[in-house]
Amino acid sequence: MGQTINMQQMEQKLRKADRKQSRLYLFCNFMALMIISAYSALMLSPTVQKVFPEGGDSAKQMYMIFVMTLVGCVVFTIYAMGLFFRHKSGQLGVLMALGASRKRLAPGLFREVILLSGMSAIAGTAAGFPFVWMIWHMFRLILVDSSEMKLTFDFRCLFVSLLFLLLVVGFACLTAWRYLKRTNIMEVIREEHINEPVKELGRWCGPAGFLVILAGAVLGYGAPWACHVWFSMYAPEWVNIFYAPVFVGLYMVMLHTVVHGWKSHRKNPYKNIISRSMMKFQGKQTVNNLLVVTLLIAGGCFAVFYLPTNGVSALIRYASLPYDYFYKYQADQDIPGREEVEALGRKYGLTFKDWKECDYVTLGMGGNSMIFEEDGLRYHTEYVPMQGEARVLSEDACRTLTGQEVDVEPGTYLNLTNQEETSLSVNESAKGFTNMTTRKELATEFAGFLHYDLLVDEISCCVLDNEDYAAISEGLTDEWRGRFVEFNVDGKDSYPFANAFYHLFVSSFDESCERSAYYDRVQKIREDEAGKEYWADKDDIAIISYELSDSFMFRQLWVYQPDFRILNQNDYLRNMAVMFMMFLFIFIVCLLTALVVCYTRCQSIALNNRYIFDDLKKLGASPAFLDKEVRSQCNNVFKVPSLVGMFSMFLLFSMILYANDGRVLREEQVAMGVCLVILGVIGIIIYAVYRSTVKAIKEQLGI
Amino acid sequence: MVIADTISENIEKKVAVSFWQKKEETEIMLYIEDLYKAYETGKNKYQVLKGIGFHVAQGEFVAVMGPSGSGKTTLLNCISCYIPFDKGNIKLGGVALAGMDEDALARVRNTKIGFVFQDFMLLDGLTVRENILVPRIVQGEVEAEAEKLADQLADLFGIAHILNKYPAEISGGEKQRTAVARSLINNPLIILADEPTGNLDSKSGRAVIETFIHAREKMGATIFMVTHDSFAASFCDRVILLKDGKIYRQLEKREERSVFQDQLLDAIKEMSSM
Repeated sequence: MGQTINMQQMEQKLRKADRKQSRLYLFCNFMALMIISAYSALMLSPTVQKVFPEGGDSAKQMYMIFVMTLVGCVVFTIYAMGLFFRHKSGQLGVLMALGASRKRLAPGLFREVILLSGMSAIAGTAAGFPFVWMIWHMFRLILVDSSEMKLTFDFRCLFVSLLFLLLVVGFACLTAWRYLKRTNIMEVIREEHINEPVKELGRWCGPAGFLVILAGAVLGYGAPWACHVWFSMYAPEWVNIFYAPVFVGLYMVMLHTVVHGWKSHRKNPYKNIISRSMMKFQGKQTVNNLLVVTLLIAGGCFAVFYLPTNGVSALIRYASLPYDYFYKYQADQDIPGREEVEALGRKYGLTFKDWKECDYVTLGMGGNSMIFEEDGLRYHTEYVPMQGEARVLSEDACRTLTGQEVDVEPGTYLNLTNQEETSLSVNESAKGFTNMTTRKELATEFAGFLHYDLLVDEISCCVLDNEDYAAISEGLTDEWRGRFVEFNVDGKDSYPFANAFYHLFVSSFDESCERSAYYDRVQKIREDEAGKEYWADKDDIAIISYELSDSFMFRQLWVYQPDFRILNQNDYLRNMAVMFMMFLFIFIVCLLTALVVCYTRCQSIALNNRYIFDDLKKLGASPAFLDKEVRSQCNNVFKVPSLVGMFSMFLLFSMILYANDGRVLREEQVAMGVCLVILGVIGIIIYAVYRSTVKAIKEQLGI
Repeated sequence: MVIADTISENIEKKVAVSFWQKKEETEIMLYIEDLYKAYETGKNKYQVLKGIGFHVAQGEFVAVMGPSGSGKTTLLNCISCYIPFDKGNIKLGGVALAGMDEDALARVRNTKIGFVFQDFMLLDGLTVRENILVPRIVQGEVEAEAEKLADQLADLFGIAHILNKYPAEISGGEKQRTAVARSLINNPLIILADEPTGNLDSKSGRAVIETFIHAREKMGATIFMVTHDSFAASFCDRVILLKDGKIYRQLEKREERSVFQDQLLDAIKEMSSM
């Protein structure tokens, strides 16, 4: 006589027997929650929040990819849940067929799904923090470390994980309820074998899909420009809808992949017919999965491309600067003079050459200004006599500093820009300059550009005729006067010297210069005089502190930040560390999520088609043939979304780089080359996971 | 015939199955009247059952045959309340199934019907004994009486030696005999079998048919079986031939089994040529 069992014990036994099925569901739930909690923990950590300016492009990109990752996690969690229920349905159906009512089955089923989804979700959430801590510390250990990299958490990020956890558990319960509600028991029993074919389009849909993607990319990228040029307005958020064709195109490409494949079958229509038909009959979910994987890989590439596109151009710029040391300061500051600097240099065994210095003045510069309407989007252009600060040099001073022959006609001005003429601080519309002490004005006209990278920063820099310069600067107090200095090292430069000099330099300034380059003194005076509030008085971006002189924000924003080549080159990665590491982390998370989706999809194809593989074996299919079929299945899941995701993002980046100024600069070409190398590395990682997935599936199918 | 002989011997030894008293509620166990059922796929509607009507008497062993798509399995699924039907009347033991709520239908499936699937549908995580007891388990606690009955049924069908094994460890024939034992555990009004020999070799198939015959003879079970197999059907008292969702013809066994099988084959041939 066996041991008597009741319903609960029976359910326990069945659960135990279904461990393998539950494992995939547990794994996916765990991964999803781990990824979400890790991403949100890092994204919302004070460490990252301090560095990513609120409302800035980088922050927007970070949030956008987070949403994409969230969608990816939702998709694979729901899919794993679907798989779990597909298997479970056979069991449920048999019990229903044998007379178990909904009421009888419900407690056990809900207990099981709540237990499985709840426990895995809680474990995943808890694992998210050690996961992000581990990766972050690995970055610090292997790549770069700085005081800003110190990771702190804001545990309000748990709110995101909690929402996702509730979503997971809620959806699991909803799915369980839907299964119990079904009246067609035979459908429940046969659920595992029910196909979900996708609506086919012709063979045109794939190539047409690529054209639609291209059209979407051009439309999406061009829409803000069109708003600006045609309607004199900043593009509202909804303009991003113009990117929608990209998703339609991606869907068409994935549909083509699933239904037709990309190889021509005219010569041999029966080649791969089995793997194609297997995919086709689970088409709906497969297409959705491939779409999500494509977006995740594209998102990951988008994040990882941030590093070379920013890093390479900065490093190339540093390398190409004409002087090793360049700095500027306000005349009322007690800054170390040449002798003091040379003495410091000697301490480090350095001598200097090509020492040049000259005076400049800071004037109020007129210019066309965008005056926004009440909606904050539409604007009209209006000339404002004191639009903002400008650093102004005389012809002679400019000649001394740049070594260039400079001739400025009286009553005109030249504007400094970089060699590529990509500087955003140029001003071609000024009709005059204002002495901010005496309020004397000088009428001028724009006469052209001069190129000198060291003089290009957030504040416009101009050159006036010597006499005009003398006339307009007369009576200026020292706070509106300053000095440019540049020199080279005779021989090999020394980082310790540069570092020591930098700290000496910063510490020589008083509080009046503790301001951001975005804090425009001329604008401040103008607004005060108009009785208006100046935006920079209450904006974080305009607040910096000498105490954080090594921080990313300080070095990015300080109005007198010097250009010391060796310091910039060495500290670049450290200064950008948080931003770079955040994007690197995003890339890791996106890639990881994409690989989990691919793995889950391949697993589901194998599980759902197990009986086909069994039938093929019975029909005499050789192991080599079966191996080919498995590879072909996995190949489609891994290869097409990876290639489309990687290269569409590469093309989008190339398009953006080209569209910025109608050309691709040398540093941009180098950055694109680095991006291609990164794509190669990503390809190798994906291939390695593909191979292990194939191996795992073959083991499961007994091939 | 080893398995069948073993079963027969067991029956001789274990006849004392007092709980299998012949049911006396009604002469007609299953009553089908004007039954309609259609499936919808997208915009297309396929009428599968087109006004079927017949009845099965208590203790009768009836088979339904017909070509693929004739509606055999759909008919069986409607009777077993696995799928809802569109129109008509089904009475089981004199009680109409239409209009019953989900709980009542579950009770009917549990206590009034024993179902045997073509692919056995045993639960992999449970032993053979536990599988036989599943209909009792879903009722609530399994009492000693039920366990005793499960053992008796196992003895009766020659599967006593595998009671503690799992489905993965036993043969197809043993699985199906386990499924038959499971269908009988609640002393149902009728056993519904969907191609019970379809996945079995001829020897195992024959053994399963023998279990039905013994269940009918010794326990008074009423059996309604869908089959493609004219050999299996030839053991029945009556065979209903279905074609295109309608009853084409009914044949009663009045002669020897082999003669009845020939009659069946002729009728099927005639039906196919129409």
